Amino acid sequence: MPEPSATEAIRVSVPAGLPSLDLVYPALEQLWEAHDGVPLRERMRLETAVVEIFVNIVQHAYRADRADPAEQDARRLDLVLAASDAGIEATFSDNGEPAEIDLSQVTMPDTESESGRGLAMALAALDDLSYERIGGRNRWHLLVRTPPAA
Amino acid sequence: MIEYDVSNGEDGISVIAPRGRVTVVTARRLKDLIAELVAGGSARLVIDMSETTFLDSSGLGALIAGLKTARQAGGDLRIARPSEAVQMVLEMTNIDKVLQPRESVTGAFDA
Repeated sequence: MPEPSATEAIRVSVPAGLPSLDLVYPALEQLWEAHDGVPLRERMRLETAVVEIFVNIVQHAYRADRADPAEQDARRLDLVLAASDAGIEATFSDNGEPAEIDLSQVTMPDTESESGRGLAMALAALDDLSYERIGGRNRWHLLVRTPPAA
Repeated sequence: MIEYDVSNGEDGISVIAPRGRVTVVTARRLKDLIAELVAGGSARLVIDMSETTFLDSSGLGALIAGLKTARQAGGDLRIARPSEAVQMVLEMTNIDKVLQPRESVTGAFDA
């Protein structure tokens, strides 16, 4: 992806736990304040995917050391939010366990299911989702394309 | 971050209005609230989602669990007045097919 041109990217680094979700929303708000031309629909799509991927990372990448609080403190998750001509994007990186996931195999569970929708919802909300393991870190990239400016 | 307003209306129908974000952090409370109401004899429930600004997969799971709980008790669960964000999630997951959103709280059990 090209670097965003208009403004600096928004970066947050938070402990990899569910309570940190409260720190993610203000970062998203900051992005919308800096890019007030992004339509509501596209904002909602990125927000949905950001929350689902965040929860997925917290619940899966750090599952193994859940029992040890000291270990957990060392677990951090970085989020970069940016907007460019191509769209709005989010990049998560974390030092948790590698994700054993094939995104091409993810499907939306049936309407009776009470769980297991997170990644399917992220995929449905996004124009592009990718996962890579680079240098011992997980990297998730999320993209919502925005309509060209009039 | 979230408030669940509960009111018991006419005809034994209970209304839960989640105000704020229903997420993995707060969905458990919604699921428990529905279970408590059903156990207390209120198996006909309307979830007024006009002020629900965000619904994630866990929140959706709580609604589906609630629907099952209500139906097992001979009642039902209806969603009314979904916000734009909630509507998007219902459509994206096809849940709008089994939980068709109603236009009003008072008329949610009319059809």
